[in-house]
Amino acid sequence: MKTLLIKNAFVIDPIQHISGETMDIAVRNGKIVDDVKNPDEVIDAQGMLTLPGGIDSHTHICGTKVNFGRYMSPEDMRAGRTSRKGDMHATAGYSVPTTYGNSYRYSRMGYTTLLEGAMAPMEARHTHEEFRYTPMQDCLANTLFDGNWFALQAIQDGDTKRLAGILAWYLSAAKGFGVKLTNPGGTEAWGFGKDVSCINDPIPNFDITPLEIIVKMIEANEMLNLPHSVHLHCNNLGKPGNYMCTLDTYDAIPDINDKRQSLYSTHVQFHSYGGSSWNDFCSKAEDIARSVNDKPHIVIDTGQVMFGKTTTMTADGPMEFNLYRLYHNKWSNHDIEMETGSGIIPVVYRKKNLVNAIMWAIGLELALLVDDPWRCILATDNPNGAPFVKYPEVMALLMSKEYRDKEFETLHKSTGRRVALPAIERELTWDEIAVMTRSAQARALGLIDYGKGYLSEGAEADIAIYPIDVDSTDPARDYERIINGFSTTEYTIKRGEVVCRRGTCTLEGNHSTYWVKPHVSPAYDMSKDAAFIDGFNRYYSIRRANYPVGEEYLGRNVCMETEASI
Amino acid sequence: MMKVILEVKERHKPNLPIEAECITPKNFLDPEREFHVWKGNKELDITDIFHVRKDGTAKSAEQVEITIRGDSSHIKRVGEYMDGGKILIEGDIGMHCGNFMSAGLIEINGNADSWLGREMHGGKILCHGDAMDYAGSGYRGEKQGMRGGLIEIMGDAGDFAGETMAGGEIIIHGNAGDMPGVDIKDGRLTIMGDCSRPCGNMSGGECRIFGTAYDMLPTFRNEGLTAIDSVQITRFSGDYMSRGLGTIYVANCKYMD
Repeated sequence: MKTLLIKNAFVIDPIQHISGETMDIAVRNGKIVDDVKNPDEVIDAQGMLTLPGGIDSHTHICGTKVNFGRYMSPEDMRAGRTSRKGDMHATAGYSVPTTYGNSYRYSRMGYTTLLEGAMAPMEARHTHEEFRYTPMQDCLANTLFDGNWFALQAIQDGDTKRLAGILAWYLSAAKGFGVKLTNPGGTEAWGFGKDVSCINDPIPNFDITPLEIIVKMIEANEMLNLPHSVHLHCNNLGKPGNYMCTLDTYDAIPDINDKRQSLYSTHVQFHSYGGSSWNDFCSKAEDIARSVNDKPHIVIDTGQVMFGKTTTMTADGPMEFNLYRLYHNKWSNHDIEMETGSGIIPVVYRKKNLVNAIMWAIGLELALLVDDPWRCILATDNPNGAPFVKYPEVMALLMSKEYRDKEFETLHKSTGRRVALPAIERELTWDEIAVMTRSAQARALGLIDYGKGYLSEGAEADIAIYPIDVDSTDPARDYERIINGFSTTEYTIKRGEVVCRRGTCTLEGNHSTYWVKPHVSPAYDMSKDAAFIDGFNRYYSIRRANYPVGEEYLGRNVCMETEASI
Repeated sequence: MMKVILEVKERHKPNLPIEAECITPKNFLDPEREFHVWKGNKELDITDIFHVRKDGTAKSAEQVEITIRGDSSHIKRVGEYMDGGKILIEGDIGMHCGNFMSAGLIEINGNADSWLGREMHGGKILCHGDAMDYAGSGYRGEKQGMRGGLIEIMGDAGDFAGETMAGGEIIIHGNAGDMPGVDIKDGRLTIMGDCSRPCGNMSGGECRIFGTAYDMLPTFRNEGLTAIDSVQITRFSGDYMSRGLGTIYVANCKYMD
């Protein structure tokens, strides 16, 4: 029954509409409570910005894909080395660090919850094993369904209820959290050497289009009453002129959930490109932002690009092949049986490269042009756009026009003719940054019901205390202080325990894995469905009975049970 | 002029490697400096491993001469980031000798272990004995190996000599092992003896083999006979798996059966 009292904290908590009040926060047993008497520990947070723990709603930190990034880029391990110190393990790596490296660096920035953006269900064990060694954060895993043959068959048959049953079985078998579609249909077509250019192209071997996959998946997702919506990586990523495809996709999304969004569209920066080739490549962030502003049922994350070395990794195999043809560096390509595929290549984003400079500007434009910060989440699609350690710089860029202009001057000189960024005056406020880094994620992922993203009685005591005095800091001018302040917390608190103090992590946080278990009626229980079992045992290299991830892989975990409407 | 003599003490387990990247001429300029070396995860003082003798004074690294005596075959990273002066090794030396060095001279009277002069930028390494694998190469995953300077090996070299080499010169007076100059981008690699499968994926630079190249790769094009220092030699261009901008001169070559 450990108790903790944080005194005089300057709190911004957008979910509770608290915008900069000095207050005390009491914690008992890992939860926030009304008051504690004789607390075991007292923290004086006088003059320090106190926010709910950060949530990253799209990052790649664990799993086979990340691990393959590690072993195909041994040179990455030469950066970011730290030796063992106190309770901290040795770490290494910059864009694809060790699990402890990820965990410590996120914790240092005040992040307490992470969503792994793409987990192939067949390779879920590896993801969960790495989650266990990401000790400072609660982890969740989006589960890939873009090329799942049982799901595609159900969509072709027009049987959305069966599709929902299949999603339910896979999610609970893989101990996943949400439904992820990566280039729906395209990754599947890549298995046959093809790709799809947009949502109306047919898919080999099935009589359906990506659009049908997206819409049916959204319907099935809502039948299961999952906390999160469908999490979509649109078709045609990273190609000049792909913004039309993104707009068409958004236009076709039905609004069928009144509690939260119906679609989470991820790393939209990579989907907001104009032009017909790399020569006339330009930003179409304004068109995309206008479309998002009109559609309250869509939430996006920016997928900001920052300059420097990184590793791109995605289940979008054909896109990585295109990148390989641009860079001629090393490339990995991977096919996952009945489910999906993936690709990885290392890249360097350069300021003097016009395309890279435009990509950088597009991410910022999206964040500034989408009016509602609740529907535009700050993320770099770590490590695809940049490693997450760049988040403080992104925040400073969004909060300071002066810093943006200063950075802009160092870019390729033609950038200004291709982007709208220099004309945008908006500077985000403290509240908006708080929304875009934790509250919006908590709402979009449906985690508010599970006590995340806010600081009132009953919530999980995940708290980030930054050494930033909001009253004396003008973010528009003191952007260096913003970067330093958001880079290293004074205290990061996870379930009521201080896990990171000024960058030094102090103990193994009692983290957990969150996973969903939708309860469906026996008619849609795939573990008893003869056709499913037969198909599974015939086409997978794993027996169906051996496929589900056992709970022993998870350690401490939270099962999010839902009642499906089928 | 400063002379530093480091004599390796008798060690209970002489095969345990010691990481001694602090041994560079520049570091001895500061009389206050403490020298630490690593044995596994234990940090030791340099006097735990070496008898240290310092004579004279020096104002710049160029005036410092370090002599390493005794069984130094498991002392690693000697001369890392060296930027001037001289290191003389009387016996053998461990892995990663002369990593990233930019100037100065390292002379090894015995043999060198792997990764001799990896990613070096300048200066000279003279090895009177043999060198093991990866002399003058880049480390795992690195795109550019040696970028400048000279490595001269009087004996044989192991496999992958000059891997991803991007400048400078390597001269091997004996034989080289398998795949010398693989991924070479620039610079010159000279092998006086034999080797096998030279310069796979070569995208630039030059390789000269005065002995026999066994298992010559079929992705190089024979450009006919020429002469270097009045030696009859065949010129090849390639590797056409890459852009074919490199050149190999081979005195004798044999293709795989």
